[in-house]
Amino acid sequence: MKLLFKFFILITPILFLFMFYLLLTEDNSYPGADYDTQNFPIFELETLSGKKIVNTNINDKALLLNVWASWCITCRVEHSYLMYLNKQGIPILGLNYKDEKEDAINWLKKYGNPYKDNIHDYKGSLALDLGVTGAPETFLIINGQVVAHYQGEVNETIWNDVFLPIIDENRIF
Amino acid sequence: MIIEISHFFTILATGLFLLSGIFAVSIKNTEYVSNLISRTYTHAFLFLLISFSLYVWLAATDNFSVLYIASHSNSDLPIFYKISSIWSAHEGSMFLWIVFLALWGYLFNFNITQANPIKSLAIGIMSLIIVGFLLFLLLTSNPFQTILPIPPSNGADINPVLQDPALVIHPPTLYLGYVGFGIPFACALAFLIRGNTEIEWELMVQKWSVVAWIFLTIGITLGSWWAYYELGWGGYWFWDPVENVALMPWLAATAFIHSLSVSIKSKRLRVWTLLLSILVFSLSLFGAFIVRSGIIDSVHSFANDPERGLYLLGFISVIIITSLVLFVIRFSKIQSMIRIKRFSKESFISINNIFFGVLVFSVMLGVIYPLIYEYLFNQKISVGAPFYTAIFSPIVLVACIFLIFSIDSKWSREFKFNLMNLPIIFSTTLSIFITFVFIFLYEIDDIYINLLIFVGFLIIFRYIFEIYKLISAKKYINPFSAMAHMALGLLLISISLNSVLSSERAMSIKIDETESYKDLTIYFQNINLSEAYNYDSIEADLLVQTTNGESFLLSPEKRRYFTRGQITTETAIHASLLRDIYMTIGDQLDDGSWVVNIQINYLIRWIWFSAILMCMAGIMLIFSKKRLRR
Repeated sequence: MKLLFKFFILITPILFLFMFYLLLTEDNSYPGADYDTQNFPIFELETLSGKKIVNTNINDKALLLNVWASWCITCRVEHSYLMYLNKQGIPILGLNYKDEKEDAINWLKKYGNPYKDNIHDYKGSLALDLGVTGAPETFLIINGQVVAHYQGEVNETIWNDVFLPIIDENRIF
Repeated sequence: MIIEISHFFTILATGLFLLSGIFAVSIKNTEYVSNLISRTYTHAFLFLLISFSLYVWLAATDNFSVLYIASHSNSDLPIFYKISSIWSAHEGSMFLWIVFLALWGYLFNFNITQANPIKSLAIGIMSLIIVGFLLFLLLTSNPFQTILPIPPSNGADINPVLQDPALVIHPPTLYLGYVGFGIPFACALAFLIRGNTEIEWELMVQKWSVVAWIFLTIGITLGSWWAYYELGWGGYWFWDPVENVALMPWLAATAFIHSLSVSIKSKRLRVWTLLLSILVFSLSLFGAFIVRSGIIDSVHSFANDPERGLYLLGFISVIIITSLVLFVIRFSKIQSMIRIKRFSKESFISINNIFFGVLVFSVMLGVIYPLIYEYLFNQKISVGAPFYTAIFSPIVLVACIFLIFSIDSKWSREFKFNLMNLPIIFSTTLSIFITFVFIFLYEIDDIYINLLIFVGFLIIFRYIFEIYKLISAKKYINPFSAMAHMALGLLLISISLNSVLSSERAMSIKIDETESYKDLTIYFQNINLSEAYNYDSIEADLLVQTTNGESFLLSPEKRRYFTRGQITTETAIHASLLRDIYMTIGDQLDDGSWVVNIQINYLIRWIWFSAILMCMAGIMLIFSKKRLRR
């Protein structure tokens, strides 16, 4: 009886802790990652340089869409990694989110521009359709379809764990 | 530059805490060594305090070269929000958590005499726990990271829902409660290591445990109040996972301080008390793990990565398993062979321990069941109020009935119940009468609610008689216990009545229109658009009239904050003694009308008042009992 009690006292918490270990090390343990496929929403907006841009412009290739803003500090942290990705030849389209045009252009001038173009989404309408909750967020788009979505800062770990598997699978970039 | 100094001092403190821990567990305890441990600890704490003060100063003076401060503060904020921004996210709040843990250890070190046989060891154990958390801070969640060479000109702003006075004090109080149980835990562990049953560790930690319990209670109450009026949740408790991980240590702590009093008075239930002290601290740590590992989505959870979760889990496992192994080794030695007498106070408190244990276990189940389910079936489910109500109502009811019987019981003596005495008959009749008044007045048909109201009143009346006995000097009763339990009675009544009487309705209403709800007539006067320094706001003015002629203006508001584009709801509340009229405003519909949500919350303030009353009982106990200190 006493032995049984001792055994239970020890084994119960160990089981609990082990269970949490399993839960934590589960594959998709990145809370910001989401792999639901959706069509890229229809939109008509301007770029930061004032050109018109619509959804057909980004239909046919694989690219990364990065939601950013000049007021967003994490974007500033993430920025250097995006510069690196861009150097590796990965096309990144910027979605400038709820930001003043001037601030955004100055920001790019000050820190450098990893984006091939920037959609200026002042009202956040496209962002809303995409399901953006804040900046930064990053989408992987293949053939006009969103295949991966990550909320938060993209860095080397996130890139390797969240995006690379899909990229390798689809043999893009 | 200052940030590097702050960083350096934290590293220095980590080293000193480690030394203090190593001295305590590895060197034979002589007077010289115990003085050394005590001084090393004090210095380590001072270094940590300097480091934290520098950090606070940096936050207060808008040093945005520090990444954490740049991400969570803003130069437009008033000074107290700049400081409270430190605990608005993971890294800074962890820092504060550790400083508090070390602070408790410092006060303990300062207050307990060197001659105490387990003091040095307890300080050493505290030090090692602090080292574990400091390493966690430095290695996985470093708040000292900088953005160089070009710091941003302004910060990202604190989350607007956290810009609230309650939030300035809610996390610190809660943390003081959580980590306060580090002291009883360290002493329990030191007691187990020494293995000398003569040592009265329970007496040593009673004061500390009650203080920690008070902080935990206040912290939870503040959180509940904040969710009510700031988040616009419109209730006092939501069984949110993070509320639950605060509730579990609270339940365990409540059982612990009951059990503690038995162990002090009559040396019984020592096994229970030890186990509970381990449980309370483990649950506090578990709370930190749940919130900071990202395993659960909740309002409270911080942005996080799995590495942190793994570190915390590993460290917590070491603490829990070490303490339980020690417990099992010493089990036979501490176990008391004296049987507890039937219907003595001790017997009732041991039953109470079991009830509380079951409650903790059920809450734990509610927290982890969705996680297991998602893991196994890849489907999200949520365990909500119905589950907890179904479990809590009967258990609390039965526990309270035992409480009522325990009022007359005696320490270490068998007790024969005499149900035919005047106070019992009188208070029972009175409670039944009042309950029936409520049943007929409000047509309450839920059996549990009726029973809980009855039991609530019965507890209050029984204790009123006891207090009368105390005043007329016929018998000594514990006035703090009486007060805390009467507060429990009040809490039961308030929660029960709140759940049956409160109601809400969402209505769409245009300007100049009138709507009615229950006894209220609501006239939509006006809508104002305005702009403050960091947000736009839409404010509706609604004139509310009750049937008995009272009228007042309620102005619920919606704000959009510029820096994050976040939309928050500012509730409008008209509070009176018995009920709150609570209003929030939603979206504008296509026909130009506005969605306005109105709630009538009965006795909600009494719920918080009961919690405060319980704390008052605890505070009085701390200040009154000379025999606590020895």
